[in-house]
Amino acid sequence: MRKRTLKRGLTGFWWFTLAFLYLPLAVVVLFSFNASNSAATFTGISLRWYGRLMGNEEILSAFANSMILAITSSVIALGVGCLIGYGMYRHRHRKLGWLIVLIYLPIVLPDIVFGISEMTFFVQIHRLTGLLQPGLGTMIIAHITFQIPFVALIVYSRFVGLDPTLFEAAKDLYATPVKRVVHFMLPTIKPALISAFFLSFTLSVDDFVISFFTAGPESATLPIYIWGAIKKGVSPEINAIATLMIGAVALAALISLVFSRRRQA
Amino acid sequence: MAYTGVTPSARSRGMVRESRHLLFTVAPGATWIVIFLVLPSAYLMGVAFMTNGPYGLPEMPLSLESFRRLAGFGFLGWSPGNLYTLLRSLWQTLVSTGLVVVVAYPIAYYISTCRARWRPIMLLLVVVPSWTNQVIRTFGWMNLLAPGTPLSNLAESLGFIAPNMGLYPSNFAVTLGLVYNFLPFMVLPLYAAFEKLDTAQVEAAQDLFASPVRAFWHAVFPQTLPGLLAGIVLVAIPAFGMYVIPELLGGGKGMMLGNLVANQFAGGANWPLGAAGAILMLIATFVGLFAMRRIGKRLGGGEEVVI
Repeated sequence: MRKRTLKRGLTGFWWFTLAFLYLPLAVVVLFSFNASNSAATFTGISLRWYGRLMGNEEILSAFANSMILAITSSVIALGVGCLIGYGMYRHRHRKLGWLIVLIYLPIVLPDIVFGISEMTFFVQIHRLTGLLQPGLGTMIIAHITFQIPFVALIVYSRFVGLDPTLFEAAKDLYATPVKRVVHFMLPTIKPALISAFFLSFTLSVDDFVISFFTAGPESATLPIYIWGAIKKGVSPEINAIATLMIGAVALAALISLVFSRRRQA
Repeated sequence: MAYTGVTPSARSRGMVRESRHLLFTVAPGATWIVIFLVLPSAYLMGVAFMTNGPYGLPEMPLSLESFRRLAGFGFLGWSPGNLYTLLRSLWQTLVSTGLVVVVAYPIAYYISTCRARWRPIMLLLVVVPSWTNQVIRTFGWMNLLAPGTPLSNLAESLGFIAPNMGLYPSNFAVTLGLVYNFLPFMVLPLYAAFEKLDTAQVEAAQDLFASPVRAFWHAVFPQTLPGLLAGIVLVAIPAFGMYVIPELLGGGKGMMLGNLVANQFAGGANWPLGAAGAILMLIATFVGLFAMRRIGKRLGGGEEVVI
């Protein structure tokens, strides 16, 4: 009897928490279809804010910047991080404490300290040498820096999960290291590589603080654009872009659900 | 031993090759992190000990002026502004982490009691909002808490806020935003702990006529402690350095350390002061990590907290 009431109370609390989690997103989506430009009252359904987006050069270029940044940084971080991950596995019996510290540093450093360190560094290097002008280039460098550890750790844990004798077998099967990499290693860690790429991509698109501090005047990404629009005074167009970004996340969630279901089956 | 029967010179050649392999795989990424993170942070720490120049840029000679400024000593004598900001950061971190635990604990437990096929979906539902950009999520709360919205009207009719003030900007809004932002980071490690809970211990406690509270405290809680500690690390450390949420939901009176630091690199530029604030944040981070590790080692029943 007591257990039943506990369970019922928990179920109620669960739905309450879900409402709490989704309410702010729902409001954004709802008001993106608002006919009036009021942020407090809903007057009717219209698509006018979405129409405005299409003609807005700034938003389109911010979207392009976000994509270039996310894809370029993820690809480079995947290569570099994958090498570290393998190195960590292969030499796991050595004392690699310094490497572990180095890899965890980007993860534990508060975003704001991370972003400001990079910014002051880039600014001074630029003043001294003319290189590293703040812009997409510096943002890509900064994003790679926080993506590398995640890639390395994912790849490392995939290798750790493998049967060590597989490596011996591969050595017997394939004569050259190159063939071993192409025919054995890459295919075996493919799932890890895919999830590492998607994680890097998501981290990049999700990031605001580090991008904000390393960006140049021409390299605003979508979050930076939205930030600027909020600071200037809320325009209903923000709801429309934000809704599109929420939609992309919902799609990604659905895809990940389908994949996890298929893996279970 | 793989090397038995091999001549010493071949063995050392093998070790050289291994070292070269380590260098080849690890060096590119390690160098990258050293150049683009270790050096910049080291430079930033150095900046804290320099003097503020006319354009907010650091200059020689070395001094401790920035730390004096951080403690509130300015041209016009001492003012408590920075101290308030610091205390507010600590307070907000404490309150929001506590609230996150209070919400996440029953949720994680509830998910672990549901049918196995539903659990991944439930976890996904908890996590998905955190996949959307932080700026957008916070903007959603701005919409919800602005003057004239149902929530603000409710708070107004209950007498919590003055008429037409709205629930944001305020410290309350910042706490709410922090709890919202960090909830998934607590639910996931707690769920992992609940999932592998040894129920035999709970049954043993019940068989011995332990009250539910005692059974929980002695049989359940210790088992979830590693998850709880991991969650606290994941929540409290980023909460202390939070920038976006207090900037959008807090207004001038809701400022936290992250905003104080960031402002020194924008409008009212004073790099050394900002750098001194960053050092404070780093100290807090590493003290927090260290403390949690120690507590985890002592209480976690041998299981080390992985962060």
